[in-house]
Amino acid sequence: MLEPINVSLASLNLATLAPMLIAIVGALSILLIDMVKEGLHKSLYVMISLLFLLLDLGALVDFAGVFLKNGTVLGFFDVMLMDGIAILSQIIIVGGSMLFIPLALTSKRFHEYNYPEYFALFLFMIAGFQFMVATDNLILIFVGLETASLALYTLIALHNRSKSFEAAVKYFTMGALAAGFYAFGSMILYAISGSVEINQIATVLAEDHYSNIGYVLVSMAFMIAAFGFKLSMVPFHTWTPDVYEGSSAALAGYMSIVPKIAAFVVAMRLFEFLVHSGVVWLQVILYIGVVVTMTASNIWALVQSDVKRMLAYSSISHAGFVMAAILIGTTQANTGLFLYWALFSFTNLGAFTMLWVNRQKNLLPGQSSDHPYEKFSGMVKTMPMAAVMMALFMLSLAGIPPFGLFWGKMYMIGSAVSAGYTVLALIMALNSAIAGYYYLKLIVFMFMKEPMVGYEQFYFMNASLSLKTIIGIAAVGTIFAVFAVNPLLEVITLFVYNSGY
Amino acid sequence: MIDHILTLLIFFPALAAMLGFVVTKDSMRAYGITVAFIEFVLSLWLWYAYDPMVSGMQFMESMPLIPAFGINYLLGVDGISLFIIILSTFFTLIGIASLTETRRIKDLIITLLFLEMTMVGVFAALDAIVFYVFWELSLVPMLYIIGAWGGPLRIYASIKFFLYTFTGSLVMLVGMLFMAYFYYQATGQWSFSILEWYRLILPENFQLWLFVAFFLGFAIKVPMFPFHTWLPYAHGQAPTIGSVILAAILLKMGTYAFVRFSLPLFPDASVFFMFPIAIIAIIMIIYTAMVAYAQEDIKQVVAYSSVSHMGVIILGTFALNVEGVSGSVFLMLAHGVVSGALFLLVGVIYDRRHTKLMSEFGGLATVMPRYATIFGIMMMASVGLPLTINFVGEFLCLLGFYKQSHMLTLTAGVAIIVGAIYMLAAYKKMFFGTVTNEANKNLKDLSKTEYLGLIPLTIVAIWLGIYPKPVLEPINNSVESVIQLMHDKAQSPEAKARIPDLSGKNGIISIQEAH
Repeated sequence: MLEPINVSLASLNLATLAPMLIAIVGALSILLIDMVKEGLHKSLYVMISLLFLLLDLGALVDFAGVFLKNGTVLGFFDVMLMDGIAILSQIIIVGGSMLFIPLALTSKRFHEYNYPEYFALFLFMIAGFQFMVATDNLILIFVGLETASLALYTLIALHNRSKSFEAAVKYFTMGALAAGFYAFGSMILYAISGSVEINQIATVLAEDHYSNIGYVLVSMAFMIAAFGFKLSMVPFHTWTPDVYEGSSAALAGYMSIVPKIAAFVVAMRLFEFLVHSGVVWLQVILYIGVVVTMTASNIWALVQSDVKRMLAYSSISHAGFVMAAILIGTTQANTGLFLYWALFSFTNLGAFTMLWVNRQKNLLPGQSSDHPYEKFSGMVKTMPMAAVMMALFMLSLAGIPPFGLFWGKMYMIGSAVSAGYTVLALIMALNSAIAGYYYLKLIVFMFMKEPMVGYEQFYFMNASLSLKTIIGIAAVGTIFAVFAVNPLLEVITLFVYNSGY
Repeated sequence: MIDHILTLLIFFPALAAMLGFVVTKDSMRAYGITVAFIEFVLSLWLWYAYDPMVSGMQFMESMPLIPAFGINYLLGVDGISLFIIILSTFFTLIGIASLTETRRIKDLIITLLFLEMTMVGVFAALDAIVFYVFWELSLVPMLYIIGAWGGPLRIYASIKFFLYTFTGSLVMLVGMLFMAYFYYQATGQWSFSILEWYRLILPENFQLWLFVAFFLGFAIKVPMFPFHTWLPYAHGQAPTIGSVILAAILLKMGTYAFVRFSLPLFPDASVFFMFPIAIIAIIMIIYTAMVAYAQEDIKQVVAYSSVSHMGVIILGTFALNVEGVSGSVFLMLAHGVVSGALFLLVGVIYDRRHTKLMSEFGGLATVMPRYATIFGIMMMASVGLPLTINFVGEFLCLLGFYKQSHMLTLTAGVAIIVGAIYMLAAYKKMFFGTVTNEANKNLKDLSKTEYLGLIPLTIVAIWLGIYPKPVLEPINNSVESVIQLMHDKAQSPEAKARIPDLSGKNGIISIQEAH
């Protein structure tokens, strides 16, 4: 006869689940509404999603207050872990999602937005990412990761184009491989430490002075591969451009921001304690990975003929740049990671939204892809304001001051300098110079060439008031970023430092 | 208002540019001239209010921008930057006033006004990051001007210009971050303020590395041999207005930055690199003069002669004494006036004939006597005829460097004189002889619009050649405090010996005290 398990409800600290539960309840209520009355307009679902995300954000801000007062909050048999970086990354995840979901309010009709399930899946996915970052339990990370990824594959496929199916299947296959690697890596970690919690694994490993270093390295090899897929590190990046090209521009922009920050946080939890305990092999591999990812993807981006593919490679390069924070591992670097990503999400949001509003339903004869450079040729003559906006986002991505991303770049390079990674700092700087070329290419097309006949009908074809608002928000966030950097830095430093990173 | 004059000077043109979107196309030129004129008057007011006897920073403004990382919005002018700011506003005014471009004039004027913001910003900034922001931002309008209004190879030229400078300045950014980190290590606080960096005494080996990082950014901008290859393309393809601003102001950013950053921050490294840089400068003078002689295009001649004279500026800067540095700052102004004027003059003939090949011309002096006269004056100024503005600067530069090395100065001096050959040859080809080309027979002499730009420049070129004191004196005062600072900071005995000690002289307020 088993003893009855007595767990007081208070010890569970159910509040730690609140943010994810809000998203899940939101998703369920969308499904419920659809059951009661079918065929409702997408605007309703967008607004409902927004409201739930707002509640979610509110709960997170509340947690932020609790964290600053009492420190890390644990819950649910210590599986849930609401520390500073969990809260920060969730705020970026939810905030990013709130900016992206209104992109569904296009003026043209799109297949996927007719399904309420699209929005339900979207909210499930957010809950998945939130679980992923708010724990240091390898199993829950896995569950969160898979929940989110499965939802995301479906969202991509819903775009109903043959390229989207291809993208979804490609992403799914690669994702499954990554999941396998992840499971294998966790298994080895469990085998040598007897725990699935990262901080306990760290303690156990430190106690026996890394006597099992061989096994640790094998598991880390699997983990690097797994996160390499998720973060699209070279050489695990091959799916990225195809998947971005196949998904709608809105979703591609989303994929370049939100899933990556979730993966960064997990990578931070998993790799940094090893880097700090002087596992040289991991340092070397990360160093090589960071440099190769930055440089190679930049070079590939140079030769792209499609803007969306170029942005896909550029986002790989940005991920590599930020990955340097995990290698450097100081508080300043980790702060830089969050700062960079917060600023990046605004700029990239703007860039992808600009593609999204210029989306065309059918390709012109002779047009090979959705957004070839020629499409934007001479845009300053036909739509000056739009060209200026697009140029603004490109300049920001290239790291021209005083636009948003410059401050992130500066702080990241600064953290490399302070940590003694001089060569890395130089490589990061020179990579920004290489990247300058392909961002400039689009500006050259828009500002210095003559308009091409036929394309101007697509300019702002897809625009609606809410999309324009989003572009406006992104532009304001990009131009006036300099005033946001100081408060952001202070808050982020406080959170990161108090979480022990 | 005078307390915030620098902020006003920086952001007034930007604000005006934004409002300019509303102005209709036909009225845009008048609007541009008005704005540039107000800005110019404001900068004259700055000169009027400036106290020439104080050597330190004046009109300082400070506002925290990113205090968590030590970045402040910090502005100020001293004698070194004051006149370059006035030169920038002056040239924007002249550039817009004598604009003959007709294609998309509204975009062009808005771009020019934005460019004016960045130019004034660079010279007024006292925080390294604020400096960097304006420094980088100035690339964007220039990229657009070259790329949209330029010649057939304009896109190649504009991208080359952008990427070259961008690469160099990113390395410089790493250097700046290093400086801030050293400051952090020394004081426990982040700071990007140049004035606070001045107090930092770095070990010599760090100085050498940081000097190189900054040097790369500045040398590409100047441009120094062997980083000069972007400039002929940029000049060759840019429209007249682009070349004028590029030669007159943008190139000065590099030489100005040497005086503002490299010398006072790294005195030992400056002495260490003095002779290598002097040799590069002399190569610049001789080599580009030779290349200029081989050109068939008059604009390329002016472009290469402009690089050649930049070599003299560098030589003066690295004399590391008051004469040399004052002379180089003065020569920056002189070079701005003269080469800007020469590019305007080339633009005049290009507007009429749509060619810049010298072989197309000949005997223009009989057809366009007034044009030939002004061209002649400016050409004489360019080769450094006494009583013209360039002579003062070149003389002081050479005098300064003569104290460091007789041989090199002699070589440079001879090179400058020989360099006159290509200008005189070009002038001969274009203006003397008989009119051989039918198309040149009926060319009109200068128009009113063109006078508007050229007359003031001619006046300045002769006035400051005869009586440079009102400009030279404030420059001298500020340079003295820079040299004194360098002498005080220098550690190696060679540096102590090479950089003169001025503390015996009275009336010098060092930069820190003024701060």
